[in-house]
Amino acid sequence: MRRPLPHPVSALVLALALGSGSLVAAPAPQLDRATLAVHRAQQPQRIIQAQAHFASLRAQFGLGEGDAFVARHAFTNPEGEAIVRLEQTHDGHRVWGGQAVAHVLPEGGIRTITTSVRTSVALQGEPQLSGDRALRIALAHLAPKGPMKDAPQVERVVFPAQFLGGLASKLDGTGRPVLDRSMSVTAKLDAPYVWAYEVRTRLHNREDGTKELTYLIDGNTGKILRIQDMVQHLEPAQGSGTGFYRGAVTLNTTLANDGTYLLMDTTRGTRTNQFVSGYQADPSATGWSPDIPALQVWFHQNDSDGNYTWMDGLFQTPVGVTTWGDGLPFTAWGQEGGINGQTVGVDAMSAMTTTWDFYKNIFGRDGMDGQGTAVAANVLNNFASPSWDSRDNASWSTWGQYIDLGAGSYPANPKGFQSMADLDVIAHEMTHGVTNPSQSHYWVNSAGYEEAGLNEAVSDFFAQMVKAYSTRTPGEDSVIPDTDGADWQIGKNVGHGTPLRWLDKPSLDERSVDGWFDGIKYMDGHFSAGPLNRAFYFLANGASSTPGSASYSPYLPGGMTGIGNDAAARIIYKAITEFLVGDGTGTITFQRVREACEQAAWYKGYYSEGTPAVRNAFAAANIGDAHNQTTPRTQVRFADFRHDDYIESTHFSDYSTRQVFPKGETVVPRITVLNNSNTAVTWSLGGPSMFNGADQNISKGGVINADGSWTTPNVMAWHSITATSQADPKQFAEGRVFLIGMDTDMDGEVDALDMAGVSVSWYLWGALNPAHSVFEAPLVDDDDVAFFVDAMKSTWPVK
Amino acid sequence: MRKLSLLLSSLLLGWTLACGGGSNTPSSTPLIPAKGLVYTDPTGTGWRLVKDASSTGTRIVLNLVGPSGLKTRGAGFNLQAPTTVRFGKFVTDDRVTTGLPILDTGVYSLLNHDPRDLGHEPIPNDPLEPRLLAGGVKKGNLLTVGIFQKDRYQSAKESGQALCRIALEFDPAVGLNAGDKLGLVITKSGYLAEDIGELTVHPTLEKTEKGRLVPMPIAVGTLSAN
Ligand SMILES: [Zn+2]
Repeated sequence: MRRPLPHPVSALVLALALGSGSLVAAPAPQLDRATLAVHRAQQPQRIIQAQAHFASLRAQFGLGEGDAFVARHAFTNPEGEAIVRLEQTHDGHRVWGGQAVAHVLPEGGIRTITTSVRTSVALQGEPQLSGDRALRIALAHLAPKGPMKDAPQVERVVFPAQFLGGLASKLDGTGRPVLDRSMSVTAKLDAPYVWAYEVRTRLHNREDGTKELTYLIDGNTGKILRIQDMVQHLEPAQGSGTGFYRGAVTLNTTLANDGTYLLMDTTRGTRTNQFVSGYQADPSATGWSPDIPALQVWFHQNDSDGNYTWMDGLFQTPVGVTTWGDGLPFTAWGQEGGINGQTVGVDAMSAMTTTWDFYKNIFGRDGMDGQGTAVAANVLNNFASPSWDSRDNASWSTWGQYIDLGAGSYPANPKGFQSMADLDVIAHEMTHGVTNPSQSHYWVNSAGYEEAGLNEAVSDFFAQMVKAYSTRTPGEDSVIPDTDGADWQIGKNVGHGTPLRWLDKPSLDERSVDGWFDGIKYMDGHFSAGPLNRAFYFLANGASSTPGSASYSPYLPGGMTGIGNDAAARIIYKAITEFLVGDGTGTITFQRVREACEQAAWYKGYYSEGTPAVRNAFAAANIGDAHNQTTPRTQVRFADFRHDDYIESTHFSDYSTRQVFPKGETVVPRITVLNNSNTAVTWSLGGPSMFNGADQNISKGGVINADGSWTTPNVMAWHSITATSQADPKQFAEGRVFLIGMDTDMDGEVDALDMAGVSVSWYLWGALNPAHSVFEAPLVDDDDVAFFVDAMKSTWPVK
Repeated sequence: MRKLSLLLSSLLLGWTLACGGGSNTPSSTPLIPAKGLVYTDPTGTGWRLVKDASSTGTRIVLNLVGPSGLKTRGAGFNLQAPTTVRFGKFVTDDRVTTGLPILDTGVYSLLNHDPRDLGHEPIPNDPLEPRLLAGGVKKGNLLTVGIFQKDRYQSAKESGQALCRIALEFDPAVGLNAGDKLGLVITKSGYLAEDIGELTVHPTLEKTEKGRLVPMPIAVGTLSAN
């Protein structure tokens, strides 16, 4: 029961293609409005049908009377199918990461996606800890210095051990990955399911900055099992109005009771926004209230030096004034609500309405969450601390359905950005709301998961589509045009000419990669997005057959023809909303994305022998084979992580952490070469995830031999090694490990006697010797004990 | 301690030569393929590796026993064996210690939950709590094992008993002959003394000095194939 995959998506694709041969020739037709309305009207019955269907399948998943599937969200797609997302429960408690999707077909059948169903759920007894105790454990870890933004939420859940967290990394100031101990999990579990509490916390104050962390706390031992950062950032940490970017635009605003106008659009959104719920209503003057559902733009109130006051305001013009903004870069610190600040508000509101309308008119989607919840933006964030810089960043809050937009540090910082309130940045963030609509329905966005790359790529792609849509011929609102509006770049304007990312050739940013490889999950999602961004680009635009061209791929040297923006967007949208429904576990791989897109393409009439575009687009990004390719591609992979002598992934852990090795010792990784009789590899130090700014060599530590045995460098840090196929040098794998200091007695030899140092310093107020901590940290605690023992086990296993 | 290991190494060399010489010389007894191992305990009352009753003809289990009356807080050693014999692992009923080449005999206190919670409601015991019990087999068939108490507040334990266990296994594939000697050499060893300084949480120079391992010789018996 470690990785229950009773019905993988690939099997589903196959079933459709083979089992419904006649349908391949005639994909489901687009329905007229009246027919679609009939199907929508039947959605409530179809939800009940879906629940009943999964109840009838329980035995097949090893589930019993105590297990249920509860519908949480549903919509009717353009083919008239009800797409129902159900959450799995056990004895009335949510099974964390457990869900099912049913497609209730108009003709009566039900197609199911069961990759996220957790099988044979069984637990003993009741949790020994109270929810309150779990909350206090989470808060002790969070250690807030200021007040909570709102009360934390605690929910008792069933936690599957396969989703136990592991080591976490973050990028330091130079872009180098370093261990993030505060987000790392070292606990172990020895049962497939345990009682746990999910504790959702939110901080937004002067002392702590803005944080949204969700904890999973073991209901019996109080151990932290997983920590999830729920904020989606644009850029990994480093860091008739007139808009600056948008120029003259018309805006929907709201006339307030006192004759002023508010930058608030009540024509979009039918449910209130959570972010503004914390602000007090203003019944006596404007009449503004958090209970009014509306798109709205707020600003961070800074002082005249640009320091955030931790107060926010809604943009407002004086009585009778209906023009907003001066079109100039923002400089009026302390006067954020004035005409200069309004310029940023105009950019934001215009971009938000464009994105909102794009999803409504193209896909019939009601708001980001599909349920009409209004979106808010909070612009001119100028908060910067040594550990976090909000100025050149943008983020999406899943909880609050709001966008936080940096003020930009340019031109004071020549390498910084201008105001972050540009269309592609905002469309990117709002797309995170489409793919992450709720606290139980989201894609993981942290390094360690391929899914993080999916999360970012989908946002980057739809940002292009929104830009193309914004340049459509007036009145042609239901088609995404193939215009130059999509420049296939992210952030060219905020970067005053230099984009953050390129979709056509992601490696132009010198961080991202153009093709998939085993180990890509170690990268930050913004950079691991590269291959998917490229595949999406190829699908819409095609790939060149001319080496040297930006759209040439060595993985598809013959090139391909694209199917256009509109078709590509519809395929990808269908794939992400119907087949790749997020369950928060991070288990979606790029291969699964390909399978989902193939399946969606079939519906849209693009899946036949004559139109192999989806297969080729993904193949061109090294995600699977090309259409009609007869010999499968060579693949290089680090050995199965359940063996003793592997370099392991952080996640999907088999209850233990095994990617820890001693520094300065010789370890032997193992590699597998698939689909090629020549299994020889060339070993090298470092790997694509170990980018380190100008100094590429810091992470290339130690000595690696022809047989792959690796004498690790004497540096406590993340390090990578790469194995490249000699038969096909385009194929390689990166293995990443964290090296710790274990020679506590400093006799030049790591052995079990070194555990004595850990023993005598354990929980002193400062180690007796810095070498006693495997992390070279002042305090020696159970993390040191666990890491020491794990590293011994993985380095010198007993055969 | 270093002198001791050198001495033992020379002894081993002597044995090996004698053994090798013996096999090359025509002998009245023909070579008989070995079917197992036999271990004879060392003499003496100091630190020693003594055969445990759970041993079988093909798996020799050895107890680390210390001098009676000596109180310690843990011990570790490195043991070099010829590549013609395998170090065995122990299967236990918990995931933390199973598969290790060392077995906890229950003398030392290995568990102690996070002291940050002292003074508050205690957290129930975690069956998977990290323990300072580990080992491995390094290149060249060098066993390294250790067992240490996690908290200085726990009392030191009487050492004149089985403190931990290791195992040596017969490998039928290597072609040992009955009577072949298998030299075992302790290359490093040490124990953590009872006195590790005052019981406060502040690091001091005194604690640094007293927190070091005390080297000790470990007497090893003779292992041979039979
Ligand atoms: Zn993003």
